[in-house]
Amino acid sequence: MEGSCDKSDKCPRRSWLVRVLVGMNLVAIGSLLYPITRFLRPRRGTRHGTLNVVAPFRVDQLRPDADGEWPAPFEFAGKPCVLVRTSDGEIKAFNAICTHTDCTVKCRPEEGDIFCSCHGGVYDLNGQNVSGPPPRPLEAYKVILRGKPGREEIIVSRT
Amino acid sequence: MSRAPEKPNDSPATRPGLRDFFYDRMGMSVAAGLAAKKKVPIHRSTPFYFLGGMALFLFVIQIVSGVLLSLYYKPSPDQAFESVQAFMTEVDFGWLIRSVHSWAANLLIGILFLHLLTAYMMRAYRRPRELTWATGILLLALFMAFGFSGYLLPWNQLAFFATRVGTALVGVLPVVGQDLLLLARGGENVTGDTLSRFYALHVAILPLLTLAMLGFHLFLVQHHGMSVPDREALRLGGSERLPTMPFVPDFLLRDAVGWYLVLGILAALAALFPWELGEKAAPFSSAPEGIKPEWYFLFMFQALKQLPGHILGIEGELLGVLFFGCAGLVIFLIPVLDRGQISRLVLNILAALAVVFFIVMTAWGYFDKGSLRLILGASLFLGVLSLAISFSDRGTLVRRILWMLTALATLLLIIGISQELYQ
Repeated sequence: MEGSCDKSDKCPRRSWLVRVLVGMNLVAIGSLLYPITRFLRPRRGTRHGTLNVVAPFRVDQLRPDADGEWPAPFEFAGKPCVLVRTSDGEIKAFNAICTHTDCTVKCRPEEGDIFCSCHGGVYDLNGQNVSGPPPRPLEAYKVILRGKPGREEIIVSRT
Repeated sequence: MSRAPEKPNDSPATRPGLRDFFYDRMGMSVAAGLAAKKKVPIHRSTPFYFLGGMALFLFVIQIVSGVLLSLYYKPSPDQAFESVQAFMTEVDFGWLIRSVHSWAANLLIGILFLHLLTAYMMRAYRRPRELTWATGILLLALFMAFGFSGYLLPWNQLAFFATRVGTALVGVLPVVGQDLLLLARGGENVTGDTLSRFYALHVAILPLLTLAMLGFHLFLVQHHGMSVPDREALRLGGSERLPTMPFVPDFLLRDAVGWYLVLGILAALAALFPWELGEKAAPFSSAPEGIKPEWYFLFMFQALKQLPGHILGIEGELLGVLFFGCAGLVIFLIPVLDRGQISRLVLNILAALAVVFFIVMTAWGYFDKGSLRLILGASLFLGVLSLAISFSDRGTLVRRILWMLTALATLLLIIGISQELYQ
């Protein structure tokens, strides 16, 4: 008995059993890995977040402060959002994450551009990449103004 | 440097393929040689060899589920409870992973108790396996420390007060008590610093110690081979004449059956009885009713509750703590204490008393209702008695006493069940 059936290729019944055993173990391992991979996926809130946010400052507060600094980016759906005012007074909102290596950009009111200090990337106030390493324009959001003219609330939206 | 002449069979050139590539370069022939040589003796008590493998399997589950939990857990008193609550409700299968971790911890301790008990009954601690026993006891202590430190991490009411009570026990020790208490709590009270300490203990210090100790334990098991009970060796005419099976694949496949059994029980428990989270700890509120430690600390908790404030002028709690300390030391030293027929008899009587004490206190502390206590206690007794009977010789006085006790336990179980059903 033993010895004559050492090589599985000579014993189709035994090799079939081994294959069934291996297959059943693979199914078991798969059923263990399934909940684990699902568990590793970030929760919904951190993946998508909110669709709208009211900016922490009104239209009349959107100007350089005493030191010439533009209002800092604020959180929108887990990411920084920067508000800029173009030369014709239009307010625009961008995802402040630089398209180059995920740094956070800032608006430079005197130069009239959006600048990333990590690698010197420059975007214009429409979010277009003009110089430096950034490969793509900044992701733009929709801006809705609501309230008294001149003192409107700024609502940033992704819809 | 001159190259040693290679055997034509082993030279890489004649062994192509990815499998052979690693086989040659990782010294797999040594491992394969060891695996081929390893034999497991076959006798009546062979099934108890599976318990260690089951515990090892549960430890692996604990590592995997614990690492997964650490991805979402935040160890601070402001966020711990909220983070657990959040991943239980928001993350896919979060409730399941936490439930598996909690249930596996309890199963692991239970299996370790059985492993300890059967190793004692097989007298597997005899020369040259004294260190295997000692490392095993230390591993049990480490896993109980895992349980104690992990209990606090969700920062709920039950955990908070159980930790206060548990750490307070250290404080009753003379001279060093207060310093140890400060060391354990990271302050005079259980605070956020305690949580940080317990977290570090649970995810860094204990795992490192356990891995080292476990490596040593497994090395010793591999080095000395499986211990054969005297009775079995005698029955089959010497331990050399026992039939054996190869470890790979015969015993390993049987081991795998044990793992699947554990996995099935664990999955059923975790899915059908998800672990509760309770209420967030409120450090300045009064302790809620029904504060209890995990079941494996319950016997100590219940016994300490019964002690009066002072016994012969010494603080009752101190005596209790010293008693359990001594009991632990005796268990640790069993290989040294077993020196002959008489000492063995004394040890067996002490062991029987310890088991009775453990079961009575656990059943008493676990339920508030008499009939439920009776059912739990009698069932545990039946389990232990069936183990003990399998290790006793036919026709001896011990065997007869054990059967009588079994009848008694069965009677108690029936009384308990009928009380529970017809009241």
